[in-house]
Amino acid sequence: MLFSSITFLFIFLPVTLVLYFVVPHKFRNIIMLIASLIFYAWGEPVYIILMLLSIFLNYVCGLDICQKEDDPQKAHRSLIFAIVANLLLLGFFKYYGFLLDSLNAVLPVDIPYRELPLPIGISFYTFQALSYIMDVYRKEVRPQKNILYFAMYICMFPQLIAGPIVRYIDIEEQLKNRTVTMRKFGQGAEYFMIGLAKKVILANSVGQVFDQIAGLQLGSFSVLTAWVGCISYAFQIYFDFSGYSDMAVGLGKMFGFEFRRNFDYPYTSSSITEFWRRWHISLSTWFREYVYIPLGGNRCTQSRHIMNLLVVWMLTGLWHGAAWNFLFWGLYYGILLVLEKYVWGQALERLPSVVRHIYSMVLVLIGWVFFFSPSLGYAMKYLGAMFGAGASAFADKQALYYILTHWLLYLLAVIGSSAVGYSLIRRIVGSFDNNRAKRAAAGVVYIGMFLISIAYLVTESFNPFLYFRF
Amino acid sequence: MMDRELNGTGSRRAAGRMNRPGIAEVAKYVVMAVIIVYIVLLMIYASGSTRSFNEIEKAVESVLDTDNLKKAEGQGLKRYYGLNSADYEGVMLYTSESSMSAEEVLLIKVKNEGQMKRVKEAVEKRLANRKNDFEGYAPKEVQLLEQSQLTVRGKFLFLAIAPRAAEYKDTFAKSL
Repeated sequence: MLFSSITFLFIFLPVTLVLYFVVPHKFRNIIMLIASLIFYAWGEPVYIILMLLSIFLNYVCGLDICQKEDDPQKAHRSLIFAIVANLLLLGFFKYYGFLLDSLNAVLPVDIPYRELPLPIGISFYTFQALSYIMDVYRKEVRPQKNILYFAMYICMFPQLIAGPIVRYIDIEEQLKNRTVTMRKFGQGAEYFMIGLAKKVILANSVGQVFDQIAGLQLGSFSVLTAWVGCISYAFQIYFDFSGYSDMAVGLGKMFGFEFRRNFDYPYTSSSITEFWRRWHISLSTWFREYVYIPLGGNRCTQSRHIMNLLVVWMLTGLWHGAAWNFLFWGLYYGILLVLEKYVWGQALERLPSVVRHIYSMVLVLIGWVFFFSPSLGYAMKYLGAMFGAGASAFADKQALYYILTHWLLYLLAVIGSSAVGYSLIRRIVGSFDNNRAKRAAAGVVYIGMFLISIAYLVTESFNPFLYFRF
Repeated sequence: MMDRELNGTGSRRAAGRMNRPGIAEVAKYVVMAVIIVYIVLLMIYASGSTRSFNEIEKAVESVLDTDNLKKAEGQGLKRYYGLNSADYEGVMLYTSESSMSAEEVLLIKVKNEGQMKRVKEAVEKRLANRKNDFEGYAPKEVQLLEQSQLTVRGKFLFLAIAPRAAEYKDTFAKSL
């Protein structure tokens, strides 16, 4: 079930909210857990068993590590078992087809295999479970003895299928004690409606432009069209994913949780390093805490540090998908971060901010080409078209058509992807003198946004969600 | 002396307790074993296949009773299901020669998993429409529709509305 679906908005969410607030406090977690299982089973009736087994496995692994904490060797062995078991599960469902396809392509063999669809959210919930296991081993948290709380942590529906990846340490206390005030609920609803509007109004609209351009024959469009396509995708993936994250954070607040934000206006970055501090923050944090720092981080020799960065970014690429282009995309960012750290980082800081911003955005756009391309070959050809090789012309009527018919959409996208959009809303609401008028203005703005989103949902059938496949 | 013996027995017991696996340790191996069984069952009953569309199509056609069925061309998928056959890796559609019969067999291999949701919705819509068409005057056809076999295995979708639908579905599953 998608947050941006009529079923979720008008049946699932209202029913869950009513039940959650009607039942006594002690039953709220049970309601939340049942709702989360229904939410997942709606789209993945078969794989709900896998998720439940993963919950049981990590629950007992956490207890086992704790029971062995007096014997470091045994505790370490238990940790390795838990990590390997989780990675094998993720690897089997996500990567074994890729591995066999790669073998079939490289070797003179044709190994047939039975393929299974990717369980939705497996990358997210496996990473959450791994963070718990590693934090228990490091004694940063005590293992959760109540399986209800633990199951809630793994499969809470607001962040189950698309993150943000929540660390157990961050919500351990909230699983037991949390409060929902009117103010917090209102903030949550605000976040949710902003996220919904980002997803439905902006992401879906620019996504349609991108789909049209991506459907054109390579070589049949101009340089400008190629850039319009790439920029459209950049906006689509940002509003799609950050919109979904905002909805998750908002829903969390409505049920009393506090999740950290996953995006911080990444397209306003002045360097690639800054971009990755602002994009998918929960994933970067996870890799920093559980891979980069254990590998030695930057407290080692220069060559080792470079190696650490490249390993982490290759894994980040692979996390996004089992394909060579994702691996390449990760490596591309790894190399850029190494170059910013050791080659041109200081020189970059001396440049005017406009130049730094253009530098960052051009590199990010090139990165998205690897991300959206079905293969590396396609990515190279598309990049060629963006820089004139294999393009039909520099600009043509087609490119002008896309720009002239969608200029308002792109203007909204630029505003929405910077802090200007949100501060504009705050300014409109804050321009009224008394609190009553402010509340009324906020209601008009947010309900207006919600109604427009619903109108889009009802009239448009195009409602994909890009991060589903991760 | 007795104390020493008691202490000795006690420490051996304690050592035994230390070496004995705890409930959590046993449970993790049990859960892992259940996961492996679950994956094996998934592979048998829910997996798709990398076999080509033509291989699966041939296997299904080999058991089809085509006395009352005719193979529809590409336009058939558009006409009956609202889908463009060019969008998919392969399409095989058999429809009844008689408008009074609900018999139909459909096999589609999608190019990517993202297409499957739309295809499945279209098939479910078609089934609902056909039930509406026959409701009230052709109870046998309605029964055929109710006993129809719809299954999704990886990138393949298979639908059989026929008296031998279960057999067709078995053949499809075995051919993967």
